Amino acid sequence: MANNIAAQRIQREFKEVIKSDEVAKCAIRVELVNDNYTELKGEIAGPPDTPYEGGNFVLEIKVPETYPFNPPKVRFITKIWHPNISSVTGAICLDILRDQWAAAMTLRTVLLSLQALMAAAEPDDPQDAVVAKQYKDDQEMFRLTAKHWTAKYAGGPGGNPDFEMKIRRLTDMGVEEDQARVALSSYNWDLERATEQLFS
Amino acid sequence: MGFDVTRFEGEVDEELVCPICSGVLEDPLQAPTCEHAFCRACIIEWISRQPTCPIDRQTITSAQLRPVPRILRNLLSRLCIVCDNASYGCSAMIKLDSLATHLAECEHNPKRPVPCEQGCGLIIPMDELKDHNCVREMRSVIHTQQQKMADFQKELAECRFTITELKREVHLVKEFMRAMRVSNPAMRSLADEMERDEVIQWSNSLTRARVTRWGGMISTPDDLLQAMIKRSLRDSGCPLNIVDDLMENCHERSWPPGLNSLETRQNNRRQYENYVCKRIPGKQAVVVLACENPHINEDMMAEPGLVMIFAHGVE
Repeated sequence: MANNIAAQRIQREFKEVIKSDEVAKCAIRVELVNDNYTELKGEIAGPPDTPYEGGNFVLEIKVPETYPFNPPKVRFITKIWHPNISSVTGAICLDILRDQWAAAMTLRTVLLSLQALMAAAEPDDPQDAVVAKQYKDDQEMFRLTAKHWTAKYAGGPGGNPDFEMKIRRLTDMGVEEDQARVALSSYNWDLERATEQLFS
Repeated sequence: MGFDVTRFEGEVDEELVCPICSGVLEDPLQAPTCEHAFCRACIIEWISRQPTCPIDRQTITSAQLRPVPRILRNLLSRLCIVCDNASYGCSAMIKLDSLATHLAECEHNPKRPVPCEQGCGLIIPMDELKDHNCVREMRSVIHTQQQKMADFQKELAECRFTITELKREVHLVKEFMRAMRVSNPAMRSLADEMERDEVIQWSNSLTRARVTRWGGMISTPDDLLQAMIKRSLRDSGCPLNIVDDLMENCHERSWPPGLNSLETRQNNRRQYENYVCKRIPGKQAVVVLACENPHINEDMMAEPGLVMIFAHGVE
């Protein structure tokens, strides 16, 4: 029975998202990954007036057999610098995707909640402690880093020549680019400390 | 879980859709204060995981769920839905409240029970009819019955064994009582009562006999004939304590005054018809028990009863 409900619900929600105003405004999107509605691909536009503006963030959405009695499993495929989202795995810390899930929530409300989370981080309930610390200690550094990640991974505007140069210094030493970016971001773009961490 | 909205004629109002399964509400219940409505199965399932309203997260328990207002029920029952068996060829469009009645008799139901017309007469679901094989089905029926018979036989054997055991015990108890009654008057009356019951039970197990020719009576049976009758009495379950007494009363020499000579028998022959006679199985002989013939004169009866053997004429 549960399986049947899951498919019926997702079919309906899929149509709901497609017809929604947000899609019209290009804020959210969903696509089917397989025919039996157990896996979907979601997309969220970075909210305006945030370091994510202009970026397009791809999500993996897995629908459990017990949906909607249990929440969908959602994670970011696109790399993102955010206190409540793991910069390594894309795992999301959001109450409604865990114990605050309610059966009446839909794909649309989940995607909109994620968009809201991007606009208003909760550094006191972090998924990525390094990002959260930076967010609390140095807002400007956080903003620049997040913007850089958005430009690099989510197709956002404006690179950051200073950051790019530092990354190139590390890649010239044989470090993977992504690894170099994570190390530099974690140490507030302090090249020396990042190098030390990478080679220790 | 609710009914798929695509099965309904026209657009279904959002208010009639369950927020959990996104189908049209089936057997709906509503939350106590916020009055949000859900299918019964959906909300029960949800509350078993989390005791909150799935829409506004107010705390609720399954005991607080209430039936939805009549207006909502009426709106639901008015919706027109296609039959569950539409994919099997049923083209009916039914009001939601008569769906159950329709389904019970829908001819397109692939699981509708129909009798096999090839001869075995078994009732089977319609969709299994084409793969149905009378011989195979019958074989399986025979197989299960054989199994049952074997079980019963085993049970019977066990019962027989128990009965034999019990009989042996009863016999011992009787012997014991016989030994006791000599010294104890209470025991004597108890034993007498049990013996009377035994005689009545035995006589009830015998069939009523009709003597058509009282003249065929053998009033002086020889020893061989007596021995045969005695064996039949025993085989019929006659209580052993009265067998000898009864057999004693099969000869005119121990019959009461009204029977003990040809002359008195001639005088009293009209009264023969009043005897309640029981057939001694397989023999041209009857037993006339005193306890079953209280209406007969004393000079025509003896304790514990009479045995009358005939040459012929017993039915």
